[in-house]
Amino acid sequence: MKFIILIAIAVCCIYVGYAYSKKYRKRANFFSALVMLCQKFDVEIKFSRERIKNIFENIDQKHKQNLCGLTDNFILFIDQQTSLEKETLFKNITFLKEEEKDVIFMFFKTLGRSDVDSQSQETKNFQSRFETLSSSATNENKKYGSLSVKLGVIVGLFLIVLFI
Amino acid sequence: MLKKILPNDIYNILTTRVNINSVNEIRIRADKPIVLLIGIQRVFLGSSGITANIKEAIFASKIMVEDVIFRASECSIYSVNEQIKRGFLVMKGGIRLGIGGDMIEDSGKIKTMTNFTSVNIRIPHEIKNCSLSAFNYLLNEKGVQNTLVISPPGGGKTTFLRDFVKQLSLRNYAYNVLVLDERGELDIGVDGCIGNFADKICYSNKTVGFENGIRALSPNIIVTDELGQNEDVDAILYAVNCGVSIMASVHSDTIENLQQKPYFEKLLAGKVFKRFVLLSTRNGPGTLEGIYDENFARVKI
Repeated sequence: MKFIILIAIAVCCIYVGYAYSKKYRKRANFFSALVMLCQKFDVEIKFSRERIKNIFENIDQKHKQNLCGLTDNFILFIDQQTSLEKETLFKNITFLKEEEKDVIFMFFKTLGRSDVDSQSQETKNFQSRFETLSSSATNENKKYGSLSVKLGVIVGLFLIVLFI
Repeated sequence: MLKKILPNDIYNILTTRVNINSVNEIRIRADKPIVLLIGIQRVFLGSSGITANIKEAIFASKIMVEDVIFRASECSIYSVNEQIKRGFLVMKGGIRLGIGGDMIEDSGKIKTMTNFTSVNIRIPHEIKNCSLSAFNYLLNEKGVQNTLVISPPGGGKTTFLRDFVKQLSLRNYAYNVLVLDERGELDIGVDGCIGNFADKICYSNKTVGFENGIRALSPNIIVTDELGQNEDVDAILYAVNCGVSIMASVHSDTIENLQQKPYFEKLLAGKVFKRFVLLSTRNGPGTLEGIYDENFARVKI
């Protein structure tokens, strides 16, 4: 019985570590998908003047998943004719810092508001900001992501040793 | 369609307190009252419906104007910039938005329009059989005669042209009709509104549209809206010389004023158009004032 409890504690610790690392992985994937979104948007508006809704609807499933519903929330804004609010745009997205949300919100606020040249220039500016955020999120993920899993394992083992 | 572009409160008033089917235009100007054109009457839109009292009118804001245009572009201004540069935007269903604002020039060319201050929403109405009273006068044994439909803005030119094309189809005149829809207004997307024998080229200027259309689609008749510059006249002459009949329209309120248009001299002197259909808004848009021949002699009315 004692062993079962100890194993359960160890598993819990590893899970907590894993869950904590997931946040970093999500952030890294999110920003890299955001950079991809900018690239795709820029290409599509230059080539086919495709409307935002169509562009967002045609993002591949993996990137859509990594964007954690951000594009779907924006499509909802297009369809429902409400004003664009930060709360609705970032609904269910909890891993972003407030200043990161501000930058992303600004990006979405400028979408579709100008001609191709200005829109493309603006998209590129935001893309470079997202690239910076993406590389720091990737570094964080490498550093703290794997660290938290390891920490979970070590704490789990430590508790087992302690109670034995 | 209007629901997609108008603010909810304005749309609700229009659908519950006003007979929306009778509204021809909705004019929204920044910091000015919203004006409706119903028939030939201009009235204000108030919170309880139409009103003649400016104090009861709803005033629009600049944000409202910008939002209407943004929504009409499906939140993608860049995708309709070519239209915006020319001061209008056409939505599905033929709803046309005339836009006022600041034109941005770059190296002598219009780049875009910004700082929108007014929008005129023109709602198309299909007036069934409105071209019938003129129909027989525009055809002869060889087919459709070159015809110019004349009216002031909002006089029903486009509706007349659209109905004429439909009537040709309904009467099984199996001519190949090319609808050169420069502003996307002629084909409003309603089932069968341009009949079964029509091809269409949209958003092209007349020079390119006529050339490509004649080469690729070999039409018997070309129907086009609003001749307005020298290039349009040259395109008409090109088509006529190719043996294609023309059905076109132009802004003018009388035959005399039409004759004053300098770029029309070539067409009128050469008697290119065999029929002139004069419309007015006297008894509402599309009132037939007369049909004239190439010598401006009345044929009807």
